Amino acid sequence: MNPYATSIMTFSLILGTTITISSNHWVLAWTGLEINTLAIIPLIAKSHHPRAVEAATKYFLTQAAASALVLFSSMTNAWVTGQWDITQMNHPTSCLLLTAAIAIKLGLVPFHFWFPEVLQGSPLMTALLLSTLMKFPPLTLLLLTSKSLDPALLTAMALASTALGGWMGLNQTQTRKILAFSSISHLGWIAIILVYSPKLALLTFYLYTIMTSAVFLALNKIKALNLSMIMTSWTKTPVLNATLMLVLLSLAGLPPLTGFMPKWLIIQELTKQEMTPAAMAIAMLSLLSLFFYLRLAYHSTITLPPNSSNHMKQWYTSKTPSTPTAVLASLSILLLPLSPMMHAIV
Amino acid sequence: MSPLHLSFYSAFIFSGLGLAFHRTHLVSALLCLESMMLSMFVGLSMWSIENQVSSFTMVPILMLTFSACEAGTGLAILVASTRTHGSDHLHNLNLLQC
Repeated sequence: MNPYATSIMTFSLILGTTITISSNHWVLAWTGLEINTLAIIPLIAKSHHPRAVEAATKYFLTQAAASALVLFSSMTNAWVTGQWDITQMNHPTSCLLLTAAIAIKLGLVPFHFWFPEVLQGSPLMTALLLSTLMKFPPLTLLLLTSKSLDPALLTAMALASTALGGWMGLNQTQTRKILAFSSISHLGWIAIILVYSPKLALLTFYLYTIMTSAVFLALNKIKALNLSMIMTSWTKTPVLNATLMLVLLSLAGLPPLTGFMPKWLIIQELTKQEMTPAAMAIAMLSLLSLFFYLRLAYHSTITLPPNSSNHMKQWYTSKTPSTPTAVLASLSILLLPLSPMMHAIV
Repeated sequence: MSPLHLSFYSAFIFSGLGLAFHRTHLVSALLCLESMMLSMFVGLSMWSIENQVSSFTMVPILMLTFSACEAGTGLAILVASTRTHGSDHLHNLNLLQC
């Protein structure tokens, strides 16, 4: 893509995100969400492949409708309470509409249907942006209004998200769809703790961003779009393959890797809030996503592809490693001993 | 709720339902999106008139600007999908199913 166009789109993404997360007035928050939506549409559709255009169409329709619903819910709240402050969102109907609108924007169940298809149709780096950066402004709006949201609705959506993210990811072989379902399940973990401890939800989101970015960057290096391309990557980048296995197990939430930290802290907080059945349910449901993470790790690192022994292997070319991949992968494997500090500084 | 509020709330809800229950063409979905924005414009203009907040008069125009940009993007997507899929029929958008 033309470097001027890419720089304009990147700048618009940063601008839209900054406007939304630093706003006090609902109209400014809506403006930032719209700028984000407009900026990422060309990045999805840039290859002009039919799948990319279809993904851009589905993304545009859902996100535009959700933005309009956000502004509508804030307008109903303004007509009832007389002010447009984001933290003073007190009317229950407005909060319900806002929760539904942000659930559409994030991809929480039952509004998740667009997310795997849009990720499948977009290039790997744009899929990374869709999974991490585009989730940040709507999540910020939920964090700012978290004290007036309905806990029962959020818990129901969170448990359904973890369940569906796990179950629907089991039959997938395309890596972008697997990562979409992993994103839906992690959003379930974020949503369940949002009302009780917003700081913990933010910490979960940050760690999920680090781990998902590490996976996407590693997959982009080996250009792995489906499971069979992952299987033959051990000849080209052996160290990246081993690191990818560890990052995937960290996404699954296995101790002693970083991904265990948010799950542990969330279950602890839910138990303190007398929500033990919900804690047990969400922990059991994330075992489903553990299966497909283990399958990805197994096929990438632990087994060799079904080739005969005198099959010609690809040359091991020493590609220069990229610093962001290395940094993010190290963070997503090694941050667990720092968990008291992480919980305190977020 | 006064009849005035009922008018633009119900306009928004019906256009939202029209967007949710779209049937054949992408153009009708884009039109419903535009009518949602139009009802929001009326609502925001009513705010600045009824509450006598003259500094809020810019907000409906700002909202209209962004909805115009969004309409332009929607039309560009319509043209792109007509070029790749041959028509704007929504049941042709089935290449990405699970």
